[in-house]
Amino acid sequence: MNALLSVRNLRVYVEDKEIIRGIDLNVGKGEFHVIMGPNGSGKSTLALAIMGHPRYRVEGDLIYMGEDIKELEVDSRARRGIFLAFQHPEEVEGVRIIDYLRLVLEKVRGVPREKSYDMVVDKAKEVNLTEDDLRRYINVGFSGGERKRLEILQALLLEPSLIILDEPDSGVDVDSLSLISAKLREMNDQGRAILLITHYGRILQHIDPERVKVHILKDGKIALSGGEELVKRIERDGFQKVFEECGCHE
Amino acid sequence: MVFRRFLRSVVAMSDLTPQDARAIIEDQIETLRKRNREPEWVTKLRYKGLKAFFEAPHTDPVIKDPLDYIAKSEENPMPEIKSLDDLPEEMRSLLDRLGIAEVEKKYIAGLAVQSDTSIVLNDFMKAWRDKGLIMVSMEEAVREFPAMKDKFMHLFNPYESKLAAYHTAVWNGGVFLHVKSGLKVPVPMHLFFLIQDSAMAQAPHIIIDAEPKSEIHLIEGCTSPVLVHHSLHLDMTEAYIGEGAKVKLSVLQNWPEYVHTRPMTRAIVGKNAEFLNTTVGLGTGKSNIANPKYHVHRGGYAELNGIILGKRDFYIDLGGEINLLEEGARGINASKSVIMDSSKVITRGIIRAKAPKTKGHISCDALILNPQAKMETYPGLISEVDDAELSHEAAIGKIREEELFYLMSRGLKEEEATQLIVKGFVDPLLKDIPMEFVIEIRKIIEMTLSGSF
Repeated sequence: MNALLSVRNLRVYVEDKEIIRGIDLNVGKGEFHVIMGPNGSGKSTLALAIMGHPRYRVEGDLIYMGEDIKELEVDSRARRGIFLAFQHPEEVEGVRIIDYLRLVLEKVRGVPREKSYDMVVDKAKEVNLTEDDLRRYINVGFSGGERKRLEILQALLLEPSLIILDEPDSGVDVDSLSLISAKLREMNDQGRAILLITHYGRILQHIDPERVKVHILKDGKIALSGGEELVKRIERDGFQKVFEECGCHE
Repeated sequence: MVFRRFLRSVVAMSDLTPQDARAIIEDQIETLRKRNREPEWVTKLRYKGLKAFFEAPHTDPVIKDPLDYIAKSEENPMPEIKSLDDLPEEMRSLLDRLGIAEVEKKYIAGLAVQSDTSIVLNDFMKAWRDKGLIMVSMEEAVREFPAMKDKFMHLFNPYESKLAAYHTAVWNGGVFLHVKSGLKVPVPMHLFFLIQDSAMAQAPHIIIDAEPKSEIHLIEGCTSPVLVHHSLHLDMTEAYIGEGAKVKLSVLQNWPEYVHTRPMTRAIVGKNAEFLNTTVGLGTGKSNIANPKYHVHRGGYAELNGIILGKRDFYIDLGGEINLLEEGARGINASKSVIMDSSKVITRGIIRAKAPKTKGHISCDALILNPQAKMETYPGLISEVDDAELSHEAAIGKIREEELFYLMSRGLKEEEATQLIVKGFVDPLLKDIPMEFVIEIRKIIEMTLSGSF
């Protein structure tokens, strides 16, 4: 029971509609979990509920580092080390990335202002974002690849213990995809737990298959779990066939 | 002293008869006339204002009776101060806080501080005067430059309103800024107004006279360092922008809650000239009503930008008329309002196309931070020709939940995330404001928004 994140009988509602219908999931320190599932199976809802989006009502246990975080606001969860890379990162008009990231470093990690500029610029280079890019407004006019790389940059700077990524590979070119995969591996190697939502195995190209634990979501429940071979099966046969074979249809 | 005490008690009673008012204003005119040793035409104009004061319409929705704000003349103007070090400590620390002292140290191109009715600091490089840049107090200007007669009060009519009439009668202070043909001043000039006395109207008159192909940027700062009550700021600006000249006028207002401001601005934008006017109302005062009017000639361009921070129960009504008089004239009227508490902001931009191939755009964005806050916008596009491009857009809304969630998901508190969003909201309109001021403006926005979560 030394899981970093422990989810017990989690139920998530939007208004009165039950989207997540009883999920159990343990993510240990430094583990690498992959969540797959057809559209509408509740993947994004799971990610947003763990992060604490106010639109969702949550029942069940949501234990992070031994503490029930269900009632905590999103910023408190973030300060405890949970990070979410969004599927559709928001545009924030008028706010320059560099100013935003330096503020986050100062307020959340206590990095002195005189150090934060170089820190941001150095890390940005690692995800192919230039100083000019950093002077642009947050995500405004960004391509898919730029948006997803900016999400990774924020994870690199915040050094969270649990990184949830909601389709970091959607809308991304081949080069960005490879870069993001490599960065996931790097962060995982540093002992950070990863909870990765994806449709495709390619994002795992730099990840040791031995490490990967895969969960397939169906109608708000985990239909089956397994190792990396599950990803290959789904890519080859599709969700329908896999569900038929395992008798997961209700 | 006797006069001063008499006036205070009258104001407190606030039951002046028209005869009392006439006597008081006459007294003020005479005091100003003597103190300023002004030419006869100026005094004549003051009496014309006095006459108009009793005949002109009064439609101000907030100031019910202008007599409550009657100006008091100073017996002795403050002594001329030659450098920042000569300023009273209080004023110096205020300028420091606004970042002005730093700015001044850096550029020293021009700095004039107006305290109540007289300019107390006038410190700018002699070299610029030799090149053709004149920046003097308006009192000195009407005395020393006879040509002023063709500029002073030419874009206003005292019969427009009681407040315009009152300004005409008792104007005091202000500056005359003259830029010689072809002279390009590379650094901004600063002018600061500070109200220090209560129950008085500060009525500076400003004339910007930019000769053809000249370039200048004037920054006007307005604030009040000490607690004064029921003050009225009645400034009037006349801008003459010659052919091909470029003038930027940035006005930073940080009035406390008890000051009423009625800025009046008129500009003639010449052939292929540019006039960029940005007003940043961080502290707009209890009420702020403005209706600038610009007239743009062939190929000229006028931009009227407003950033407004409405708070408490402030009432802010910003008009703005751009008349596109000749072919190729263009105008933009853009405002961004952040509306808090139970304040109310109204914007009424008007762009009138009177010639073909003209272009105009009005945009009005507002962020409403409280259910009690109110915003109204009335864009007016008037085309008198069939070959003009006029458009407008307006967006009034709250901070988007998803935007807030995104920023907070990185660990920022709601207050920190909101400050960031609000600063970002106004940022695009701060493009012409020097960085030193932008930093100060951001700080004031943060302060205004803190503690409300």
